[in-house]
Formats: sequence, C-alpha cells, structure tokens
Amino acid sequence: MTALRTGNRAMFWRIVRRLLGANRGRLFVILLALGAGAAVTAALLNLQVDAKRRLTSEFRTFGANVLVTPRDSNSRGLQPGASTLDSSLYNRIPQSNGDDLVAKASLLYGIVRVTPWNGGGETSDTRGATSAVLVGYQFFGTDLADIFPSTIVAEPQGRELMGVDAGIRVSSCELGEELAKRLGVQIQQTIKLQANGSDVICFINRIRRFGGPEDSQILIWLDAAQELLKQKDRSSVIALNVPGNPTSVQRYVSQLQSWMPDVDVRPVRQFTEGEAKIYNRISGLLTATVLIVLLLTGLCVMAAMTNVAMERRNDVGLMKAIGGATRRVLRLFVMEAALLGLAGGLFGAAAGILLSIWLGKQVFGVAAQPRLIVYPVSVALTTIVAILSAYPLRRLASVRPASVFRGEA
Amino acid sequence: MFLRLVADSFTRRPRRKVLTAAALALGMAVVTAALSVSLDVGDRLASEFRSLGANLVVTPQADSLPLEIGGVDYRPVNAGAYLPEADLPEIKTVFWHNNIIGFAPILETPITVGNPASVPEISSYIPTHDLQFLGTWAHHAVRTPDGSNFYTGIASTNPWWHVTGRWFDDGERECVVGTRLAKSLGVSAGSYLMIFHKDGVGVESSDGLSIVGIVETGGPEDDKIIGPLGIAQSLADKPEQYRTLYVSALTKPEDDFARRDPKTMKADEFERWSCSPYVSSIAYSIGQVLTGTDVRVIRRVAEGEGTILTRVRTLLWMVTLAALLAAALAVGASSAASVIERRTEIGLMKALGAGSGTVGFLLATEQLLLAFVGGGIGYSLGIILARLVGQRIFGVAPAPSLLVLVAVLALAAGVTLLGSAIPLRRASLYEPAPILRGE
Repeated sequence: MTALRTGNRAMFWRIVRRLLGANRGRLFVILLALGAGAAVTAALLNLQVDAKRRLTSEFRTFGANVLVTPRDSNSRGLQPGASTLDSSLYNRIPQSNGDDLVAKASLLYGIVRVTPWNGGGETSDTRGATSAVLVGYQFFGTDLADIFPSTIVAEPQGRELMGVDAGIRVSSCELGEELAKRLGVQIQQTIKLQANGSDVICFINRIRRFGGPEDSQILIWLDAAQELLKQKDRSSVIALNVPGNPTSVQRYVSQLQSWMPDVDVRPVRQFTEGEAKIYNRISGLLTATVLIVLLLTGLCVMAAMTNVAMERRNDVGLMKAIGGATRRVLRLFVMEAALLGLAGGLFGAAAGILLSIWLGKQVFGVAAQPRLIVYPVSVALTTIVAILSAYPLRRLASVRPASVFRGEA
Repeated sequence: MFLRLVADSFTRRPRRKVLTAAALALGMAVVTAALSVSLDVGDRLASEFRSLGANLVVTPQADSLPLEIGGVDYRPVNAGAYLPEADLPEIKTVFWHNNIIGFAPILETPITVGNPASVPEISSYIPTHDLQFLGTWAHHAVRTPDGSNFYTGIASTNPWWHVTGRWFDDGERECVVGTRLAKSLGVSAGSYLMIFHKDGVGVESSDGLSIVGIVETGGPEDDKIIGPLGIAQSLADKPEQYRTLYVSALTKPEDDFARRDPKTMKADEFERWSCSPYVSSIAYSIGQVLTGTDVRVIRRVAEGEGTILTRVRTLLWMVTLAALLAAALAVGASSAASVIERRTEIGLMKALGAGSGTVGFLLATEQLLLAFVGGGIGYSLGIILARLVGQRIFGVAPAPSLLVLVAVLALAAGVTLLGSAIPLRRASLYEPAPILRGE
C-alpha cells in the first residue's frame, strides 16, 4: 500500500513536471503574466506603506504646526511682550514624535529701532532708521526653514565673518527681505538695534524671503535678544514642527499639554486641519488605486491563466480514459497552478520591490524602504490568485473522454 | 474569404474569444480608471489644498513696515497706508479670475469693549478691555464686471475658522467673538457688546453689536472681535478702506520656469508664463489691476502646496504607469497564449498554400478586432470604476475624457499586436508537416 502511495506520488510529481515543461513558450507566457501581477502587487503595497509616511514628512514644509504660548496671553493688551514663558520650558519639550525628529524653536518677540550702521559710532546715517520686530530665536532641528519656511536670498560666500571691535557687542543676524530693502542694506553689512535704551550691533549674515510677516523682521540669537529687550530667560512663544500623521500630532499635543499644564499648547489650526484633510484624501486615493489595480491585475492574470487552461481538454480526456479519477486529475492541475504562482510570485515580488525602491526615489527623492512583510504577502497573494484561476478547470471534470477524442469541441 | 475566415474564427469558438476579450477588457478597465483619476486628481487636490487658506496677500505699496507680534499689529492706526475697497471687484477681471476662489479684505483697529450684559442703560457701561477689532467680509456679494455676483469673504479664505452660531451679516450691526475672548468676557451668542475706538478717533455710534457666533481659529484671532468691514472702517475713521487683502487662488505647482523673474523673460516666454496659473503669475496679474499694491505670495502655504501636489501627482502617475505595465503584460500574455494554441490551424493554412504574410495578417485582424471590443468594454468599466473612486474620495466624479478612450484603444491594439507578434513570428517559421502530424 505504501509502495503504491510512493509510486503514486512519484508519478504525480512526474506528471506535474511534464505538464510544466511541455510547452516552454506557454510556460514563459504564464510566468510573465503572474510575475507582472506579483511585481505590481509588491511595488504598490510597498509604496502604499512608504508613501503615507513620506507624505507626512512633506508636511514639514508648512513650518511650525504647534505653538506653546503663555496661558493668559490675552491680558497682554496692546503691550508687546507683556506675557512671556520661562525659557527652561524649551528644554523640557521632547525632541521626537515616534521615530521622527521634532524641530523646535524658542522665540522672543520685541520691537526695536533699526539703523544701518557703518562702524562710525553715533555719527551713522539715521535716514534709513525704522522700527521693526525683533525675533530672538534658539533652535533645535535640521533647518530653520522647518519653523519659518523661507528661501535664502543672499548668503555670504565662504566663512562667516565675526569681526568684533573692542567695546562693541556684535551679534550676527538674519534679515527679512522686505526690511533689508527698506533699510538699503546688504549681507555682510552691519545694523544697529536699539531698545529700552540699550543697543547692539549686528552683522547681517543672511537675507531670507519668507512671504509672510517675517519678511519685515530681524532674526537674532535668543540670548542677544533677551539681553537687548531686558527679558532674561524669557521667551514669547515656543514653535514646534511636529512630524507625523494627524492623529499622532494630536497625541503629541495632548501629551505635551498634560506635561505642561501652566501653558497653552495648541496646534496651528490652519495647517493641522488642512493637513488632516489632505492626508486623508491622498491616503484614500492611494488605497483605492492600489486596491483597484490589485483586484484587476488579479483578474487579468486569472483570465490569462484560464485561457491556457482550456487547452488542457485533451490531456484531461486522456487521463480520464486511462482511469484517472476526476479529483486526482484536478489535483494535478491545481498543483501546477500553485507552482506557477509561487515561481511567478517569487520573481515578480522581488522585481516589484526593486521597482518600488526606484519609484520612491523618483517621487520623493528618497528610496522607499523595502518592507520585508510585503514580500511574503505578495508571493502568497500571487499563489492564491494562480490557484483561484485554476477554478475554471472544474469544468474539465465534466469532460467526456470519448467526445474529446472524437475531436468535438 | 478573408472575412469569412475571421468571422468563422469568432463564431466557432466564442468562449475562447470571450476569455481573451475579458482579459483585455479588465486590463483596459484598470488603465482607464487609473488614467481618469490621475488626469483629474491635480485639480481636485489643488482645490483640497485651498483648505489651507489664502496663498496671496495684498498690502499697500506705500505701507510702513508691519510691526506684527502674535497677530497684533502695533503700528498706530494713522501710520501706514490703506487701500480703497471700491477697487476690489477688479480682482475678478484678471485673466485667471476663475482660479480666484475667494478673497477677503481686512482692517484691524484697536478698541475698548464693555459688556452691558443685563444693564440696559448705555451710560452705566464701563469699558473693560483693550482689544483688536478685525473688520472683514463674512459672505459678501461682490458685483463682478460681467454683472453677476461673486460671494466671498473670510469664510472662504480661512476655512479652518469654525463658527458656533453663524457668521455675521455684512450689512448688520453684528459680530462674532473669538473663543478665548468670549470666555474671558463671559459673553456668548445672543449677547450685546459695546465697542469704542481706543483713542476715540472713531465716530462709532454706541448702540452696540449683537454677537451672533463664537469663532474658533486656533490662532491669535481667538482673542479678537470679528465684525463687518464697514464697522471697522467707521471705528478707525477710514471710510471705504482696508489694509490687507487675502486671496485664495487655485494654482499650478511652480517649476523652475515659474520661479524666473518675469522682467527677464522674452515676450513669448512672458506670454507662456502669464498664461499658466502659477501663483506668481496670478500675483502679477492682481498687482496689475489693483494699483498701488504689493502682492506677495504666502510662501509657507504656496511652497508646501506646490511640493506636495507635485509629489502626489508624480506618485499617481507612477502607479498608473505600473498598472499600465501590468495590464499590458497580462493582456499581451493572454493574446500570446491565444496564438500559441492555434499552431495546428496555422499549420493547416500554410499547408493549403497560405503565405506567412497572409496568416499574420489574418491573426492580426482578429486580435485587433478583439482589442477594440475588449478595449471599448474595458473603457466603460473603467469609467464606472473611476466615478466610484472619484465620488468616494473627492465627492466629485471625474468627467469621462475622449483622450483616455483614444489612449486606451491605442494601448489595447498595441499590446495585443505586440503580444501576438512574438508567437506569430515563430508561427511563420513553422513547417506545416510536423505540426499537422501533431509533433
């Protein structure tokens, strides 16, 4: 009995091998169809996971999306800087949300008198003098543009110059484009900032274009601003750029609020709300496209396989004629389909993952990280599709050997 | 005879043809759906991005530098320049007027406010707070030059402002109050507020404003009173004037060409530039109709929008391409299979004296017929699919496009022909005898 079984099994595999090898051209065609299906499946699944993540990091370009402000900020009335935060809060803000880095800046605002300064003491030209908003900043992150989205209009070539004359405090600063135009100053020139009877000379290191109110402001290091505005260890607001999808930003905000009950932590509604909407739309769109493509690719592969399966009538007729039970004959074909699906899936999915890495590079400039889970999932999917596409073979069960051999269709 | 052969091939084995056509139709349905959605998605997303609010800001050219901290401008009211409200309908005359989906003029002025609450006598009212009054349009009818009304206001430029209650009516003595201010004043919708200009320059009569809603903005406006522009103008004594205008426009993401300075362009380049809805060219055309203004792009909004739009569009095109590729391969494979299985037939035809060219031509005709039928059915299927997707995600179905139909048919024809070309080439090398012998 066991001998018969092993014999049967050997025979089974032999027939499967023969079925596969019978027609190289056809084998190639089926593998191509299945492989293409698997490749698209794998590429899309991988991209789907990755693209959503990338998308949320694209939202960084909108700048700060969470603000930490003093609790009672409306009592400040019309006096600038009347209510401030303790600077030490800045260090207590967590620097990451999940795996992603949070950019943060501690800002102190104040109004100062700005005069172009040419090093000549008090004799300098006061015609260009104007009042402007001074922003003291202390920053943690990769790029200041994460907080103040901007483009640099002018930047010194080479090393930053930090010349210090005896007795004059010199700081370096960045100017908004509008203010620079109004003052008629260029980079590497100096300006004098005056407030509360004290003054500081600063050297223009960069001119930025913000396209917002910042275009008429001066950015300077926080400690210099604190000294000038006589606001030691104080800041007006802490601006954060929290990456992540809308729910994770929300979670971060409520967590931060519970850590710092004395201040207001609030999302910048304009951006958090817009981002949430856009994110949902785009991820819905991606999911829908991916689902449709997967479904229809599966159907396409199925149709291609079915076409091929139909020509097996003769084989089935013969097998039945020499005494093959319908179930065993069907098992043969299902096994063939499964093997094809597996092979197509293994190659196709690998190709698909490579494809998605390339696609990710094209779209987001960063190669998509291959997710290992995608590979087995798409191989399994392809195999299932291949087996499912053997479903029409059920009709072969009703093939009557005699009519096949008579050549009836 | 030729046509008879073709017809015969279709009628004798209909099931097999149906299968091939079904594969084709499904493949082409994917392509159609993907193409329609991709073609449409740019516009849809662009309008979705308008939920970020205005992307252009218009200020007087002669204005002094704003001294704005935390949403409050610390300039004295009489410093700086203002713009005439009467010019505003001109915005709807620019070339890209259909892309301008909303604009709102703003005039802010410092006020003092009191809450008469239950006290009916105005004389017993004591001013309590120093505040900002933000005058704007809520839902204002702008008479466009072509005679129709265009409704716009802060509700369309700042869609993230949520009002509990309702927005004020532009012609009425009504206002909405920021949520934090409402809490600290202890007022709610239905109460009355007395407002006075802080320095007493205004000629505002003192019969108060009724609060019709509480607005939540998540920004500094939560501490302000927002009301009709007309009231702000009379408070500040600046009749028919405003200070800042926010414009929300549908734009095309900027590319390198868009970032060039229009002054350095040649005439034809300038033509092309101003005929693309780049945010910078819309800004330029608004600057042309509103004289004495400085139109600036709010980079924070415009830039982020541009990058994300471009990325998503590229992403979708890539997905479409991948879908196209897969569909083409599957369809090609199935048409290849349909030729392979007809080796005997080909052998017989050749044995009877048909040349390779004739056989190829016959098979190609059959495949093309299939391609057109399958492609046509696939197109209609795909359109239905695209509608479903569009409706579900954006609430708007993409319009069926003839371009897509042509593309789909061409692709179907190309793919089936290519798919059959390889087996056909092999078929033309067949020796009839071994095939007929069944080897």
